[in-house]
Amino acid sequence: MTDVAVHEEVVTFADGLPGFESNHRFVLVGSPSLDPFTLLQGVGPDAPSFVAIDPRQVEPAFAGEIGSADRARLDAAPDAPLVWLALVSAHEHAPATVNLRAPIVINPASMRGIQIVPVESPYRLDHPLG
Amino acid sequence: MLVFTRKADEAIVIGDGIEVKVLRIGRDAVRIGVTAAPHVPVHRREIYDQIRAANASAAAEPDAARALVSRLRQRATRQEPHD
Repeated sequence: MTDVAVHEEVVTFADGLPGFESNHRFVLVGSPSLDPFTLLQGVGPDAPSFVAIDPRQVEPAFAGEIGSADRARLDAAPDAPLVWLALVSAHEHAPATVNLRAPIVINPASMRGIQIVPVESPYRLDHPLG
Repeated sequence: MLVFTRKADEAIVIGDGIEVKVLRIGRDAVRIGVTAAPHVPVHRREIYDQIRAANASAAAEPDAARALVSRLRQRATRQEPHD
């Protein structure tokens, strides 16, 4: 199964993702055959891949919050546009869920990414995909 | 594990420039201040662990991730007439 990727660029996660701290490089794969989903594909042997979606596709009122420390980790100016993605989990006996609480944020200008680990959030780790 | 005894207002320093300071000692909880460079992530353990578990359940082999997208897209197409 191969898509012709419409965009495919390496994003650097300096701290990895929680649980995958040593995976620093991910390729963002988007194509019409995946839409509205995006693949976040780890680079390297045994690197994890994730299915991701724009949180607003799942929760139209989604308003992501990012602190100044996280902006600094993304090397992003205060008003720089950022790309938000939420990771999708499949479950054997239940519908898929989306992690709106800890979204992935990517700064397209620097191609740096982080996963936000919020102290408080109105959103769930397992929001129904709908 | 290194174990320290600290009083209120005492601190420990980790590596180059990370300071962990005991701000206040209560009956059931200790208030701690962490000073670190902006690029150093500092998280509450239990929140970090919840997100780690969510990530573990979301992680897949590349082919499995693509297969999941196919399944979800088929499901969305089937559901559309009911929306």
